[in-house]
Amino acid sequence: MTALLEIRDLAVSVDGKTILDEFELVVGAGEVHAVMGPNGSGKSTLAYVLAGREGYQVTRGTIRFLGRDLLTLEPEERAAAGLFLAMQYPVEIPGVANMYFLRQAMNAIRKARGEPDISAADFMKRLRAQAELVGVPPELLKRDLNAGFSGGEKKRNEILQLLMLEPRLAVLDETDSGLDIDALRTVAEGVNRLRSPERAMLVITHYQRLLDYIVPDRVHVLVDGRIRRSGGKELALELEAEGYAAFQPKPAEPATAAA
Amino acid sequence: MPTARAVEPVPELLELWATSRAYLPGKGPVPGLRDAAFAAFREVGFPTTRAEAWKYTNVVPWVNRPLRLPPRDVPGTDRITAWFAGGVKARRLIFVNGHLLPELAHVGGLPGGVTVRGLGRLLQEEPDRVADALAELDEPRGLTALNTAFASAGAWIELQDGAALDEPLQLLFLTTATADSVLCNLRNVVRLGRAARLHLIETHVALGDAKPLSNVVSQVRLGEGAELRQDRVEIGAAPAALIERSRTVIAAGGRLCRTVATLGYGLSRHEQGVRIVGAGAEALLNGVFTPTGKEHVDTQIRVEHAAPSCHSNQFYKGVVDGRSHAVFAGKILVERAAQKTDAYQSNNNLLLSDEAEIDSKPELEIYADDVKCSHGATIGELDPAALFYLRSRGLPAALARSLLIFGWAEEVLERMADEATRLQARRAFLARLPGGAVLGEP
Repeated sequence: MTALLEIRDLAVSVDGKTILDEFELVVGAGEVHAVMGPNGSGKSTLAYVLAGREGYQVTRGTIRFLGRDLLTLEPEERAAAGLFLAMQYPVEIPGVANMYFLRQAMNAIRKARGEPDISAADFMKRLRAQAELVGVPPELLKRDLNAGFSGGEKKRNEILQLLMLEPRLAVLDETDSGLDIDALRTVAEGVNRLRSPERAMLVITHYQRLLDYIVPDRVHVLVDGRIRRSGGKELALELEAEGYAAFQPKPAEPATAAA
Repeated sequence: MPTARAVEPVPELLELWATSRAYLPGKGPVPGLRDAAFAAFREVGFPTTRAEAWKYTNVVPWVNRPLRLPPRDVPGTDRITAWFAGGVKARRLIFVNGHLLPELAHVGGLPGGVTVRGLGRLLQEEPDRVADALAELDEPRGLTALNTAFASAGAWIELQDGAALDEPLQLLFLTTATADSVLCNLRNVVRLGRAARLHLIETHVALGDAKPLSNVVSQVRLGEGAELRQDRVEIGAAPAALIERSRTVIAAGGRLCRTVATLGYGLSRHEQGVRIVGAGAEALLNGVFTPTGKEHVDTQIRVEHAAPSCHSNQFYKGVVDGRSHAVFAGKILVERAAQKTDAYQSNNNLLLSDEAEIDSKPELEIYADDVKCSHGATIGELDPAALFYLRSRGLPAALARSLLIFGWAEEVLERMADEATRLQARRAFLARLPGGAVLGEP
């Protein structure tokens, strides 16, 4: 199987502090991978490095996406190449209507790929269908992007964007946080619709519960910036039962007080 | 106000007065009032930057120059209709270079209790009433006195108790390319009786490369429970200057919602005084200024709470680019009697250029002890997190930037009640925004 995403020996630092190290991950087309880890393990750093956010220095290693060197691409080029990050904290953009933005985004990506703009009618048709699927009411489409949305509404809106933009690789960063069980189910259904042999997903999460609905092919345990263990979906259950403690690196010997 | 000794008017202005005073409209007490006003103007002169309210705006080069009274000009109709707003049923008065064009007015068959007239005719027909109104503005100020001395056009709008105009009333003020060095002294009087309702649109447009000076004074009174919605756009070419002083008094339960978009003019100065004198009233003042090039925009707001349980909110945003200069001074005064006041003010600015300047001065003065008041001013750049968010969805950096700037202003524009005015403002803003053309019509 061809690798859609291939991360090799990656080291990332933020403000001079190493957050990810010796990080390896290969995601094949059609696969769903989960990266699980406790707070501060480097989960969001992984998401942002993939999407190209400023302030995350790659000090070593490579990321290839569909055969291209991802790290040389601007964030918008990554989007055009087929990468989508559903963010943990979607940004509020007052004054920019949700659906106007979504159409601009779709057309920007189409333009970058040399495709014509989507017609207003086609766009509306698709938008209505997908919005209904993820439970985004019509009035939310007219409101300013994420402005004053509840936590749940923001997450649904992220998944709506995901469904509209149809990326090759969807990275979901803590999509389950702030969702009640019904919303979680709706959102997961939306995500599952996108599953296909050409597409891959990277589900980044602290808890196992999202993985009840988006069932992964592979689970990776990320602790302290490194993947400590990889396995099948049963690994998630194991983690749920036993926690991350078993994966914590052994604390360094306390330094002997010199003074 | 102690007159920080002001600037002597140039001789041409004295001459203008001497040669034109006999031809200005108004009988009875009006000529005497004009003489007194001009004497006051000579006494006070033009303000300098030594006066606190003019600290950041050197108005002298804009006002103290050889000016003439406007000749009549009737531009092609298409140049006028392009600025129509308020929908097909809107009522309208049109002023070109400071003259009312009666043949283009659309104020016939108004509902009972609603009067909309040009000030010029009224000065001839009912000089006593107009003189009383002109004398209402107390403090002697140079530009106001100059306006009183010369005022010959403007809108006189009166709604009796319970009267309402369901369609918007648009006041279109246009200056044309022939208006170089023209002094337009416009005087508007708006009086809403008890529970009267009005939606007023003010459209200020300066066309061409002329350098006119519009010196506007507006006096607004809202009776008990009256409601005034006011949408205002200022779309002017760089050499033109627009200076307005408005004074609004709101009685108990009255409601004012005013939204101002400044999208041009070399100098735009808007001084708004709002005094709330009755309980349960509300004043919402929204505005966005967007100077670029070498434009200068100055907003001075003073909201006075003189009665209990009232609400006011000043919501002003700036997009400051090029080598422009923006000034915002907003004051909330809560008098001793105004317990349970809710008064807020915010002025957030995007500073897009190293060469631009913004001076923002929020001020609270509170004499009551049971009030909720807050103010805040920020000056910043585009939010990197927001830029990243948009780019991560595929928008190229330049487009993402334009969209964020547009959204910044749109948050104010979307508060306009009239859709056509909102569209005019959006278009004018997009035309000024680098990369705005690609945003199409959001």
